[in-house]
Amino acid sequence: MFALYRKLIAASIRSQMQYKINFVTSAATTGMIMVLDFIILSAILYRFHDVVGWNIYEVGMLYGISSASVSLYRLFAPEINDFEKYIVQGELDQLLIRPVSPLLLLLTRNLDLSRVGGVVQGMSVLVVSLSGLAAEGKSIMGLVLFSPIAILSGGVIYFSIGLATAGVAFWTHQMKDMLTFTIYAPANASNYPIGLYPNWLKWLFFSAIPIAYMNYLPMLTLLGKGGAWFYPILTPVAAAIAFYFARMLWNVGIRHYHSTGS
Amino acid sequence: MVYWRIIRKSYRRNLQYRLSHVINNVASSIFGLVFIAIWTGVLSGKQVYGPYDVKTMGYYIAICQSVLWMTTFMSPGLNVQIAVRSGAVSLDMIKPVHYLWYMLSQEFGRLLYNACYRSVPIGLLLGLAVGFFFPSDPFTYFWFILSLLLGTYVGMLLFYLAGISSFWTTEIRWVHLILLSLIFGLGGQMIPIDLMPGMIGEVAPYLPFSAMIYYPVMTLLELAPPYGMLVQAGWALVLTAVALLVTNIARRKLEIQGG
Repeated sequence: MFALYRKLIAASIRSQMQYKINFVTSAATTGMIMVLDFIILSAILYRFHDVVGWNIYEVGMLYGISSASVSLYRLFAPEINDFEKYIVQGELDQLLIRPVSPLLLLLTRNLDLSRVGGVVQGMSVLVVSLSGLAAEGKSIMGLVLFSPIAILSGGVIYFSIGLATAGVAFWTHQMKDMLTFTIYAPANASNYPIGLYPNWLKWLFFSAIPIAYMNYLPMLTLLGKGGAWFYPILTPVAAAIAFYFARMLWNVGIRHYHSTGS
Repeated sequence: MVYWRIIRKSYRRNLQYRLSHVINNVASSIFGLVFIAIWTGVLSGKQVYGPYDVKTMGYYIAICQSVLWMTTFMSPGLNVQIAVRSGAVSLDMIKPVHYLWYMLSQEFGRLLYNACYRSVPIGLLLGLAVGFFFPSDPFTYFWFILSLLLGTYVGMLLFYLAGISSFWTTEIRWVHLILLSLIFGLGGQMIPIDLMPGMIGEVAPYLPFSAMIYYPVMTLLELAPPYGMLVQAGWALVLTAVALLVTNIARRKLEIQGG
């Protein structure tokens, strides 16, 4: 199955690389737009110094991980994020008649290469934050080693949320509005310490939309904010659990699918 | 009047989507709640800058999220680019109404719908979280409506200009994204622009983006500087001139893609 994935994805990349200039400009624009987004956050922290005790570099760690993770998801799974059209326009029928799992086909159909800009932006914010923390005399060894794990786990968590939303769309037949609730707003929220939010939101971010495990929880430990030693281990564990449940929901949903018949 | 009819028709067309928008309103309000929580965390226990204590900032964000649905969340390019792609633009151009006002009326009908079914419910929902603000001077309501309309008008012209660039490029995805991030970055959506540091803080109040978000919100809060509406009106005039000029050039450039 992995060999097949590689073959299909390579074809997808090759077809997109026919438009090299488009790739470069779109990735650069995405990166720049997201830099502007980070400027707002730094403007707030520049003026007010900290958010509930987290300074700019510490918030930068949260932001960098979240930003790189969500971009990773958008890079590899644009068709999951756009899944509504498959249900509404009945395009899923074409995928169901092929001898390969529809999920694999969806994942290999398309890559949104412009999101590379977002991954680069997130990692740049991480590098700046890490060097800032180092200049403050903190030990950053653990953070450097943990960052790739966090980004990958975060990518899986966002993917799972996206997949679960798509699974629910088999019943609701609409997904775009749901995504605001399940992906966009949480992605925005996870740029800042989750401890800020009202209890019901906090609860949500630790359970059904488990973004807290991606950056906030492990950073409590790694930045010395009173987290228990095992919090960083929970990051990949939460990602695996989220993926398991999302896959299950998706499988139930796809069995429920009725074509639009058009 | 013909433009009023177009506005009303476009409003009615949008009424079909009421239910799905109710769900979306709840989701949008979560954005507002997140912003409010962030500001509460930032401001609590700090020295107050200008008028922005926790309470005022809560009002600011709540009103802002509500105003966005009028002045900012418009159709990308006012859908000019779609007509350019399909060639339908040639039919729109020969209509006996001016193309610019025709497109603006269409969009304004949609925005009136937004005002009723988006801005008001979101304002009420967020009001439950931060409390309701009532201006002390009854004239403020009048100035607010005026400022809001000016902001909407400036916004529509900016989106229109992004859309009409498709006469030369056919693709406006990136132009639209850049415009949107300039509005969000410099318009005062997350942070009141007078709190922005350095150069940005000094320039942003005079850019058209602040006319769309910052000034309408501040007008309702009775915190707007007296020249605020001048900035709005100034940009409204300048952008009208530019839009008329570009429309004329575009009309001469009109090519239909063979299909």
